[in-house]
Amino acid sequence: MELEVQQICKQYAQVQAINRLSFGVKKGEIFALLGPNGAGKSSLIRMLSGFTQADSGQIKVSINNRYYPFIPSHALGYLPEDRGLYPEKSVLKNIVYFAQLNGVDKTAAIKEAKYWLERFDLLDRIDAQLKSLSKGNQQKVQLITAVIHQPSWVILDEPFSGLDPINQEKVVQFLAELKAKGMTVILSAHQMAMVEKLADRMLLLNKGQCVFYGTLHAIRQQAKVSGVLTAKFSENIDEKRITSLLKDSAYQLIDSHTLRINLSNQHVLNDLLLILPRLGELVSLHSEKLDLHQLYLSAIANHGEANSDK
Amino acid sequence: MINKPSKWAQTWLVTSWEFTHFFKWKQELVSKLIMLGIGLLVFVWQQVKDDTQDMYRIAVSEHINLPQNTDNFQFIHTSLDLQTLKIELSEQQKWDAILIEQDLADGSKQVSIYSQDKQAWLEQLQQQLIQHYTLNFATRLGLQEKQLAVLNAPARFDFSYLDERIKSDEKTSSSTAVGILVLLLAGMFTSFGQLFASVTGEKQQRVTEQLYACMSPQTWIDGKILGQMLHAIKAMTSAALTGLLGYAFFSVIIGGNSIDMRVIDWAMLPWFALFSLCGIYLCTAFMAAIAAAIDDPNHSAKTSIMLLPLVPIILTFLVMDSPSGWALQFLSYFPLTSFAAMPVRMSVLEVPLWQPLLSCAMLLMLNLWMRGAAGRLFKMGMNMYGKEPSMKQMISWTISDRSTG
Repeated sequence: MELEVQQICKQYAQVQAINRLSFGVKKGEIFALLGPNGAGKSSLIRMLSGFTQADSGQIKVSINNRYYPFIPSHALGYLPEDRGLYPEKSVLKNIVYFAQLNGVDKTAAIKEAKYWLERFDLLDRIDAQLKSLSKGNQQKVQLITAVIHQPSWVILDEPFSGLDPINQEKVVQFLAELKAKGMTVILSAHQMAMVEKLADRMLLLNKGQCVFYGTLHAIRQQAKVSGVLTAKFSENIDEKRITSLLKDSAYQLIDSHTLRINLSNQHVLNDLLLILPRLGELVSLHSEKLDLHQLYLSAIANHGEANSDK
Repeated sequence: MINKPSKWAQTWLVTSWEFTHFFKWKQELVSKLIMLGIGLLVFVWQQVKDDTQDMYRIAVSEHINLPQNTDNFQFIHTSLDLQTLKIELSEQQKWDAILIEQDLADGSKQVSIYSQDKQAWLEQLQQQLIQHYTLNFATRLGLQEKQLAVLNAPARFDFSYLDERIKSDEKTSSSTAVGILVLLLAGMFTSFGQLFASVTGEKQQRVTEQLYACMSPQTWIDGKILGQMLHAIKAMTSAALTGLLGYAFFSVIIGGNSIDMRVIDWAMLPWFALFSLCGIYLCTAFMAAIAAAIDDPNHSAKTSIMLLPLVPIILTFLVMDSPSGWALQFLSYFPLTSFAAMPVRMSVLEVPLWQPLLSCAMLLMLNLWMRGAAGRLFKMGMNMYGKEPSMKQMISWTISDRSTG
């Protein structure tokens, strides 16, 4: 792992923002941080970027065989959650200023800025004051400033927020391009479809704790519910009979003829296929895997229940 | 991966960004042209409206002792009665004024002056008549013109001080000292206004974390301080030049005098420049640190704290008339006030070289400490949104070795 986080904790006043969190990020991957508002994503990002320090635990970043307690500024491209540039200055001046601060010489910065602005359909606004751009376009300019110096690590805190679907798709391509260039990208986002498409691995946080961590496949393995089986019968189903036959499974009666069963990894489909005909004549059977959005909702709900049980 | 620029390079980038953020050539040029235009307008207006350069005919009753004619006033005896003279003045414009005189019981005169309307030259006429009547009265008393002059200025005053350090009147450059204090005020107000706008603006624009990702808070504040120092120097230079040009304009062009540059103590200027630079650095660093702690510029009590750097200048103003007194001596060594007090003391007092050197050394040490303290305050302050740090927190950050996040 290029970045290893071991048992870190962070508390703000009475709030435990991060609680004994451990995970790792591999070089060149897109790593997604997921979680509801207040889950601790931004606190974690601030620690990874070195703006704040963990109260306990350890962060270790390896760059060219040297170890750092956070991602050092010379290797970091950063899009913060609280973002903003200089609204009175032009688009180009904003980009070039940040590029120069990160070591890009002016001529190269202008060339790179033009390249990325063209990619984001903003080249014609290059000399416009930043404040004259729409919120989404300002967001794109900010993304460019975060990566124009080609850092080896990029942290993007909610890069899709404020963007329409077309521009969200452009950002997906943009991130894929960063990955192709060998950059390691850590992003936090609420747009599950985008994350599912992009992320190699992910970490779901809730109340500062890890809910699940790994690839989407691994997460499905970890999840209590990984899919749904919908069975339709030709006649009314007897609910008492369902309870007795499916005692170990969570299910939902959609209507008098339709039954939906949550599939866990422990379920063996063959067993279910033997049980279901005993409830009545099957008309149709449909099985689907949960997508990330559904996994996320289910995991957060389960985590909330588990915490309240404690 | 691109190599990160050095801290110096980053500081310079921030400095030039900060300076150009507020400095616009076009606006500067336009404002100077407007000032020049106003000056020219005043000059032209004065030339057009100047009625004191014309020749005025004054009708004087025959029994009045005729005042001496001047370049502007011609006094002419007439036997006509007042009514006829008034008609000649208002309808025929034969006269510009009529002078009537009556003896009063105490031996003085009641002089009545009639004119068509109120004019500026009437004031000039009155002055000339006062001289005329004073001389007449003195003659009646049997006084010569020289005796009258002595009566008007019976003594000349010359101050000699046993404290030999006090510079003689010819050498006194208190005008330079006052000028320096005024220029420092101009610099401080410029720094105050712009730092307030710049720091609170950047905080509200949420640019903090983006910049923290590129450089350390210390580098950022160093750049900002230097940028604002350049602005303060620009404001002081601009104010000095404007003052000199204004002086030249009114003294030479309007007043017809030559420029007297003896009011400036040139030998002291390098010292003044050194202390001014150190003082501006100290105050700018302080103001930047306080501004970083302000969350809402409209409702923060900390805005008034930013004005604290004006106190040394005001204190110096209050004691500058007693150059060898303990107060100015104390202020000239105390590092928080020496930037204003020592130049003033040096301008009116001969001081041995070690005194400004010691004062300057202490000021530089304070600046060094202030740089670090301001950096720590700035780092924490810029990260706080929606809530301002308490004074207790700010003091603890200032004196701590390192700030925690």
